[in-house]
Amino acid sequence: MTGAPLADLELLVPELILVGMSLVLLLGTGRIREGSLAAAGTVIAAILAAAAAILGSPGPARTGFGGMVALDGYARFFKVLIAAALALTALLSVRSRDEERVPRAEYHSLLLLASTGMMLAVSALDLLSLYLGLELMTLSSCILVGIRVERPATNEAALKYFLLGSFASGLLLYGISLTYGVTGATDFASIASSISERGFGRGPLLLAGIGLLAGGLAFKIAAVPFHAWAPDAYQGASAPVAAFLASGSKAAGLAVLGRVALVAFGSDARLLSAVVAGLAALSILAGSVLALAQTDMKRLLAYSSIAHAGYALLGLIAGTAEGASATMTYAFFYVFMTLGTFGAVIALGERGERLDDYAGLAAQRPGTAALLVLFLLSLTGIPLTAGFVAKFVVIRSALRAGHVGLAILAVACSVVSAFVYMRVVVFMYMKESRQPAPSRAPAAVLAALAAAALVTVIGGLLPGSLARWATSP
Amino acid sequence: MTDFPILTVATFLPLAGAAIVLAAGGGGRARWIALATTLATLCVAAPLYGRFDRSASELQFVESVEWIPAWNVAYGMGVDGISLPFVLLTALLGVLCVGASWTAIRERPREFYASLLFAETAMLGLFVATNLLLFFVFWELTVVPLFLMIGVWGAAGRVYAALKFLLFTLSGSVLMLVGMIALHQTCGTLDFRELARAAPAKLSPAAQAWLFAAFLAAFAVKVPMFPVHTWLPDAHTEAPTAGSVILAGILLKMGAYGFLRVSLPVLPEGARLFLHPMLVVSAVAIVYGAYVTLVQTDFKRLIAYSSISHMGFVTLGIFTLDPRGVEGAILQMVNHGIVSAALFLLVGMVYERTHTREIADYGGLARPAPAWCTLLALFCLAASGMPGLNSFVGEFLVIGGAFRTRLWLGAMAIWGVALGTAYLVWLYWRVAMGRTHPALAGLRLELGARELATLAPLALLAVVLGLHPEGVLALLRAPVAQLLANGLPP
Repeated sequence: MTGAPLADLELLVPELILVGMSLVLLLGTGRIREGSLAAAGTVIAAILAAAAAILGSPGPARTGFGGMVALDGYARFFKVLIAAALALTALLSVRSRDEERVPRAEYHSLLLLASTGMMLAVSALDLLSLYLGLELMTLSSCILVGIRVERPATNEAALKYFLLGSFASGLLLYGISLTYGVTGATDFASIASSISERGFGRGPLLLAGIGLLAGGLAFKIAAVPFHAWAPDAYQGASAPVAAFLASGSKAAGLAVLGRVALVAFGSDARLLSAVVAGLAALSILAGSVLALAQTDMKRLLAYSSIAHAGYALLGLIAGTAEGASATMTYAFFYVFMTLGTFGAVIALGERGERLDDYAGLAAQRPGTAALLVLFLLSLTGIPLTAGFVAKFVVIRSALRAGHVGLAILAVACSVVSAFVYMRVVVFMYMKESRQPAPSRAPAAVLAALAAAALVTVIGGLLPGSLARWATSP
Repeated sequence: MTDFPILTVATFLPLAGAAIVLAAGGGGRARWIALATTLATLCVAAPLYGRFDRSASELQFVESVEWIPAWNVAYGMGVDGISLPFVLLTALLGVLCVGASWTAIRERPREFYASLLFAETAMLGLFVATNLLLFFVFWELTVVPLFLMIGVWGAAGRVYAALKFLLFTLSGSVLMLVGMIALHQTCGTLDFRELARAAPAKLSPAAQAWLFAAFLAAFAVKVPMFPVHTWLPDAHTEAPTAGSVILAGILLKMGAYGFLRVSLPVLPEGARLFLHPMLVVSAVAIVYGAYVTLVQTDFKRLIAYSSISHMGFVTLGIFTLDPRGVEGAILQMVNHGIVSAALFLLVGMVYERTHTREIADYGGLARPAPAWCTLLALFCLAASGMPGLNSFVGEFLVIGGAFRTRLWLGAMAIWGVALGTAYLVWLYWRVAMGRTHPALAGLRLELGARELATLAPLALLAVVLGLHPEGVLALLRAPVAQLLANGLPP
C-alpha cells in the first residue's frame, strides 16, 4: 500500500484529459472571449475522454491506487455516458453563456471539473475515493448553479443547493464512518467479505450506516425524500446547468449507488433493497404527481427527473447483475432524452421558461416543437423511443424481483406523467400564440438536439444495441 | 414474387408518405401526396385477398427478421383469416379519410395528412404483427397521431376530448405492458404462436386470471366496453371527420382483435374465469348503449353512442365461444367498420355545410339533398340490421350464438336490435323527412362528385357483404375453428 505507481495513472486517462483541458481554459481566461471557443475545447476534451475510456488499456478489469479505483466495463460505460453529457451540455451552453454576463472560460472549466468528479466517483472501489469524486462534482456544480451572480433567484438556488448538499455530504460521511466502525474497512471488497463472514446483516449500527449512505447518495440523484433542492436549483440555475444536473450528476449518482449496492452490500442483497424500493416508490409517486401542478418548465422537468430517478432505481431493487444492467440502460437513455428536452427548452430561448409561453410554438418553430414532442414521448415511455426500452427493462427487473405492486405503481404513475408531458404538447399544438416567434437557436444547440434525438430514436428502434455494453460491476 | 415483403411494404408505405408530406407537402400538395400514398397502399394490400389460402388456419405471407435477440423477439409479420379483413378495411378507410378531409382541413394540412398516414401505418402494423411486442408497439403508436388529430383539428371541446382519449387509452395499455412483461418472463417468448403453445401449460389458472385482467384493461378501454366507454362519445364527437372514421372504423376493432389474438389463445383459463362477467357486461353495453343513443340530440354524438351498443354485439359474440358466434362477431366488426365509418362521413359532409350538429337544426333534407338522404337511409338500415344489407348476417350469427349460450343473452341482444332500429329510423325521420328547416334554405346541400366517390365503396361493400357474406366468412372458418379448438373450454 505504498504510493501509487505511475502506471496506475493509466486508469485515470479520461479524468486527466478533462482536468488538463480545465487548466488550459483557466489559464486562458483572459484571452477566451468567445463562448463557442471554450465550448469547442470542452467538447474536444469530452470526445477524447470518451475515446480514452473505450480504447484505453483494453482487456479485463483492472484496479489501481491501492484498490481504490477500478477500470472495468461498468466504469467505462458510465465514463462514456458522462463524457457525452458533458459534450452535449457544452454545446447547449453556447447561447445562454453569450447572452448573460458569465465568465465563459471558468464556466466550462467548472463543467470539466464536475465531470472529472463524476468519472472518479463511478470508478471508485472505496468509500473514500467515492466521497472525493462526489464532492468534487457537488462543489463544482454548486458554483455552476450560482454563476449568474446578479440574479437573486440564482443566489437563492445556489445557497439551497450548497446547504442541502453539505447536509447530504454529512449523511454520507456519517454512513461511511459507521460502516468503517462496524466492518473495519472502507473498500467495497473488504466490506462485503466482512459482512458475509461475520454476519452483521441485522446489526443496528450497520443498518444505520447503510441508511445514511443511501440517504446521502439519494440526494445526488434527487430521490424522494431527498429531492427538495432539485426544483429550486433547476429553476434558479441557467437551463444548461439544470440539464447537466439532471443528466450527468444523476447518472453518476445512480452508478455509485449501483456499485455500492451490488459490490459492497451485495452479499446480503436484502439489506439495501428495501431502502431502494422505498426510495423508488416515493420518487415515482411524488415526482409524477407534483409535476402536475407546475407552470415553470424547468420546475416541471425537475419533478419529472425526480420521478425518473425512481424508475431507474427499480433496477437496483433486485440486487442482481441483470437488474443493475437495467438501471444502466435506463440511465443511458435517460441522459439523452433529458438533455434533448432541456435542449429544446434552451433552443426556444425566452419562450422556453414558462409553460404558458409554449402556446402556439408548433406553428412558429415546427422543427423544435416536433423534437420536443419526440423527447416528451420518450420520457413518457411510448414505444419506438428509447424511453420505452428503458421503462421496459426496469419494470421487467422489478417483476423478476417479485415487486408486482411496485411495477403497477410505476406504470400507473407513467400515465400521470403522460398527462404532464402531453400538457406541453397541448400548449404547443392546440393553442394560439400571442407572442412573436423566438429567435433562432445557434447551430451548436441544434447539433446537440440532433445528437440527442438520434440516440433516442436508434435506442428505441434497436433495443438490443446497448445490452452488450451495460455490464454490471 | 413469394419473397416480396408485401406486408412490410403495405405497412410502412404510409409512413414513407408521411415523411414526404412533411418534407414536400407545402402549397396544397399535401392532400395529393396523401391520396397517392393511401391509394398505393390499397393497391399493395388488395391482392392479399385474392392470393390468400382460405383453407389454412396458419399465418400467411409471413416475414421474420431478427430484431432484438437479447429479448428473443423478432420483427415478424403475417396475416391469417382474422386479421386480413382488417388490413383491407384499414387500407380502404385510409383512402376515404383523405377524401373526407379534402376540403375540410384547411389549417396546417401538412401535419394533418402526416398524422393520418402515420396512424394508418400504426393500424396496419397492429393487424399484421405476429408477436406481442410488435403488437404493443403499434398499439401505442396509434394513440399519438389520434391525440394530435383530435386535439388540433377537432371541434370546440377538442383539447378536453383529446386528453381524455389519451389518458383512458394509456391507463389501459400500461397494464397491458406489465402483463406483457410478465408473459415474457414466464414463457421467454412473445411470439403469438409460441405463446399459445407454451403459456396455457406454464401459467396457473390464478396467474392467467391476473394476466387476463391486465390485458382486459387495455382491450376493454379500446372496444370500449361498459363502463369504461366514456371517452368514446367525446373523442368521436370532437374529432375531425377523418379522425372519427379512423376511431370508429379501425381503432375500436383493435380491442376486440386483442381478445382474439391474445386473451383467448394465450390465457384460456383466464378467459374461462371471466366468461360470465364478460357476457353480462356485453349485454349491458348493448341495451344500455342503445337507450343512451336514443336520447341523444347531437347528430354525431348519436352515431358515436351507437358504436357502444354495436361493439357490445362483438364482445358478446366473442365470449359465447360458439364457432358461429365468434365468426359473427368478427363479421360484425367488419360491418361496423364499414357502416359507422360511412355514417360519420355522412355527418361530416353535411356538417361542413351547416356547421351544426344538433339534430333539431336539421329536417327535411330529402328534398335539397336526395343523394345524401338515400345514402343515409341505406347506412341507417344497414346499421339497424336490415336483411340483405351487411350487418344483418353478423348480428344474426351473434344472436344465434347468444341463444345457444343463455336464453336471456339472446333476449337482450334482440332487445338491442329493436332499440337500434328505433333510434336509427327516428334519426332518419328527424333529419330527412318533414319540412325543410328554414335555416338550411339557400345552402348547397347536395353531395359533390368527390363526396359520392368517397361513399360509394362503402355503399357497395354494404350491399355486397349483405348478399354475399361468404366473402368474409370463408376467411374466418379455419382460424376460428383453430382458435376454439386450442384448449378453450366450452
